[in-house]
Amino acid sequence: MIRTTARHRSVRIARALLAGAVLGAAALAAGCAPERPAPPAAEKVFRFRLREDPPTLDPAMVTDNLSDAVTANVFRGLVAMDPATLAIVPAVASSWTISPDALVYTFRLRDDAFFQNGRKVTAQDVAWSFRRVLAKGTNSPRRWLLEPIAGSAAYIEGKTPDVAGLATPDDHTVVLTLDHPFAPFLSMLTMTGAAVVPREVYDDATKGYLRAPIGCGPFQVVRWQQSNAIEMRAFDRYYGGRPAIDRVIVRIIENRASAVEEYRAGGLDSLDEVPTDLPDDIKGDVLRYPFIGVGYVGFNLDLPPFKGNPALRKAFNYAVDKEYLWNVLLPGANTAGRGIIPPGVPGYDKDLPGYPHDEAKARSLLAQAGYPGGRGLPPITLWVNTSEENRQIAEQVQADLKKVGVGIAIKEVDWAAYIQAVEGTVEQPGAAQMFRFGWYLDYPDADAVLRLQLHSKNVGPPGNYFRYRNPAFDRLVDEALGLTDPAARADRYRRAERMAVMDDAVWLFLNYYGSMTLFKPYVKGVVPTPLGEFRIPLEKLRLEKTGS
Amino acid sequence: MTGYLVRRLLGVVPVLLAATALVWVLMFLLPGDPARLMAGGQGADPEILRAIRAEWRLDEPAWVQFTRYLGRITSGDLGTSYIQGRPVSAVLRDHLLPTAVLACAAAALASFAGVALGAFAAARRGRAADFLVLTLAVLGASTPVFWLALLLMLVFAARLHWFPVLGYGTDGWLLPIVGARLPEWDHLVLPAVTLALLTMGAIARVTRASLIEAGAHEFLRAAAARGAGRGRIFLRHALRNALVPVLTVLGLNLASLLSGAVATEFVFAWPGLGKALVRAIALRDVPVVEGCVLLLTAVYVLASLAVDLLYPLVDPRMMGTSGDSV
Repeated sequence: MIRTTARHRSVRIARALLAGAVLGAAALAAGCAPERPAPPAAEKVFRFRLREDPPTLDPAMVTDNLSDAVTANVFRGLVAMDPATLAIVPAVASSWTISPDALVYTFRLRDDAFFQNGRKVTAQDVAWSFRRVLAKGTNSPRRWLLEPIAGSAAYIEGKTPDVAGLATPDDHTVVLTLDHPFAPFLSMLTMTGAAVVPREVYDDATKGYLRAPIGCGPFQVVRWQQSNAIEMRAFDRYYGGRPAIDRVIVRIIENRASAVEEYRAGGLDSLDEVPTDLPDDIKGDVLRYPFIGVGYVGFNLDLPPFKGNPALRKAFNYAVDKEYLWNVLLPGANTAGRGIIPPGVPGYDKDLPGYPHDEAKARSLLAQAGYPGGRGLPPITLWVNTSEENRQIAEQVQADLKKVGVGIAIKEVDWAAYIQAVEGTVEQPGAAQMFRFGWYLDYPDADAVLRLQLHSKNVGPPGNYFRYRNPAFDRLVDEALGLTDPAARADRYRRAERMAVMDDAVWLFLNYYGSMTLFKPYVKGVVPTPLGEFRIPLEKLRLEKTGS
Repeated sequence: MTGYLVRRLLGVVPVLLAATALVWVLMFLLPGDPARLMAGGQGADPEILRAIRAEWRLDEPAWVQFTRYLGRITSGDLGTSYIQGRPVSAVLRDHLLPTAVLACAAAALASFAGVALGAFAAARRGRAADFLVLTLAVLGASTPVFWLALLLMLVFAARLHWFPVLGYGTDGWLLPIVGARLPEWDHLVLPAVTLALLTMGAIARVTRASLIEAGAHEFLRAAAARGAGRGRIFLRHALRNALVPVLTVLGLNLASLLSGAVATEFVFAWPGLGKALVRAIALRDVPVVEGCVLLLTAVYVLASLAVDLLYPLVDPRMMGTSGDSV
C-alpha cells in the first residue's frame, strides 16, 4: 500500500482526466451545440424525404429515382417533359425543328439560360456535355440516350475526335443529325442524362462536382450532409423564373415508420412510400396518381418448366387473383395489370383482355401444359428482393397457385444477389426461374419497355431477363422505331404487346403502378405526374402556411 | 506499463488483419456484382460493365485484389468508394462523428444512470425499490433496440412533443478542424437514451452487487469508526471499489453499444457509421465496408485497452498488475 508521492500525483491527475472525459461525454448528451438559428420568418422551406442518399448527383451517371429527385431540380437539358401532359416542351432550347426525313434536329437556344455559377449557357456547353456522356472514359450508363446521333459509335471507340452528327454553327444553335430515324429521340433528350453542364466545373479530375453539382435548373445544391440531408436553394436566374420556395431540404430517412411519424409531427411537408394503413389524422393528405411503370412476375423462358410452354405460363396467369392483390391485400395506388404498356403511354391498349382470375381455366391449361393438377412439375422457386411488399405479393402468388395444385417456394435475397440471379449473362440464364420485378419507363414511350425488356437483342443483362426471342415481335418493335406517324407507331406497339401477352404470356402480369404521396394541406401547386413522385416539379410548389 | 501498452497496441494489428481478411472473404462469398450496381443496375451496357471492371480491377482474382488492398492500407490509403466515387477516408469522416457522439453520450448516460440506480438499489436491498430497479434492469437489457427506439419515439416525440422525432439536425455546431457538424442537442436525446438503456441495466446490476459485496468489507466499518460521513464512505470507499466491475461491464458492452448503434441509427435516421456500413454491404461497396469494419474494430479494441488502463486509476492497488491481469 506504500506509494511514492509522484505516483500519488499521477494517479490523481489521471483520475481527474478520467472524470473530465466522462463529464465531457455527458456534456454531449446535455448538449454543447448552440441553439438552432431560426430561419428568417419569410423564408419558404419545403422538406421531403428520401429513403437513402442518392447514389450520384452527376447527371451523366444518374439511373435511379433517388438521384433524379435532386438532379431533376438542378439540371435542365435542351428540352423538357411537361410533367402533367408528358408533352415535350422547351427548356434550354426555346424552339426546334425536325427535318422531313426525321434525321436532322435543329435547336435554337434561349438567351436567358444561366448556369448556377453565373455563366450563360451556350451551344458549346451542349456539345461538350453530350460528348462527355458519350466519351468512353465517362462510362455513363446513359450513353445510349445519345447513341442515335450520327458518328457517336466512332467517337466512343476513339476513331474520331468529335461526334460527326453534333454541330454548333453559332452560340445559339445546336444541330443533331441522326444515323437513322429514331422516333423516341426527342423524348430521350428530356432525361437527366442529356442535361447541359458547364465544362469549367465538370472537366475536373478530382470530381468536385459530385458534391457540388452545377446546372441551369431552378434549384442549386448548397449542402450535402451524407445520410442526413441535402439542401437546395432557389436559383434567382433560372430562365423559368425564380421558384416560390426559397429552400428545399431533402431529408434522408430510411425507416418508413419513422418517416411517417416525422411527417405527422410536422418535420416533413411531403412523404413518399406511403403505408396502406395510414393513421386517420393524415389520411386526407394522400394524393394518388398513375405512374408509368408495370409490375409482374417474370418467367425465365430458358429454364424448365417455363421453357417452350406458353400454356403453363397462361395457367399461372389465370391462377393469380390480381384484383384481390391490389384491392384487398395491398390497397393503394397500384391497379390490376393486364399487359405491358401502362396507361398514359401512347400505345396503351384499353381493350387488351389479359388474364382475369379464373381457376377453372388455370386447371385446364395446366393439364394442357402436361401437368394436370400440378403433378409432374419440377421444383419452382419465386425470387424476390427483400421488401415487405414483395414478400406479401410472393406469398399471395404462392397461395393462389397452391389452389390449383402448384406448389412453389419463395426465395428472398438482397438486391445485389437478386439482380445477379435474375439477369444471368448474355449466354447463360440466371438461376431465378420466376422473379418479382417492376419496370419504370425511363421515358413515356412504349419503346422504353417493349424494346428494352423484350427485344431479342437485349437478352440477359441489357434488360430482357426473360430471354424472350420472337422474331415477329422484334420486327414490329424495330419498325415502330423508324415511324414518325404517332398513330402508326401506337398500332405497332399494340400488336407487339398482344403477341407477348396473349400469345406468349412472357410474364405473370400483376399490376400497373401508381404513386401515392402525402402532401400537407398548405403545400399548393402540386402537379401529379406519371413520371413518379420525385418528378413533381418543385419550382411550381407554393407553401401557404402562416409563418413559413 | 509502457511495455505493456506497446504489447497491447501491437496486438491490435493481427486483430485488424484478421477482421479485414474475414470481411473480404465474406464480401466475395456474397452473390452480387458491384460493377453492375455502378453501371446503373438493370439493363446495364455490357461494354460499360467491362470498362468499369477494368477501371476498378474487379476482373482480377479475389486474392490479388486483397493483396493490393492490404498494400494500400498499410500506406494509409483506404481506397475509393465504388458507389460514391470519394475516398473512403472522406466517407468515414462524414459518418464517424455522429456515431462517436451517440456512443459517447450513451456510454456516459448508461454509466451515470446505471451507477446511480445500482447504488440506489443497494442502499434499499431487499425492498420494493430494489426489486423495481432489478426488474427495470432486466427489461432494459432484454428489450429489442428497434422496439425500444420506436416506443420512445412514439411517446416522447410523437405524443408529448418533447423531442424531435428523428434526424441529426442540419444546423448543429460546425467543428472547425474536422469539418463535420455536431448534432443539434435535442435530436441527440432519444437515440442516446435508447442506446444507453441497452447497457444501463447491466451496469446497475453490477454496481448493486459490487456495493453490497463492498459493504460487507471491514474497511467500511473502519472508515465509519474513524468518523467518516456516510457520503464520504460511499464515494471514497464503497463506490471506488465497486467501479472496477462496472468498468469491466462497460468494456464488455462496447460491442453492444456499437451494434446497437446500427439499429438506433436506422430508426432515428442518424447519419452514423452503422447506417453507412449497412448501405455499403447492400451495394457491395467493398472498400467502404472494409473501412467501416477496420474503424469499428480499431475503436473496439482500443476502447477495451483504454478500459484496462483505467483499472489502476480507479483502484491504485491494481497499478502494475495490468499486464498480468489482462
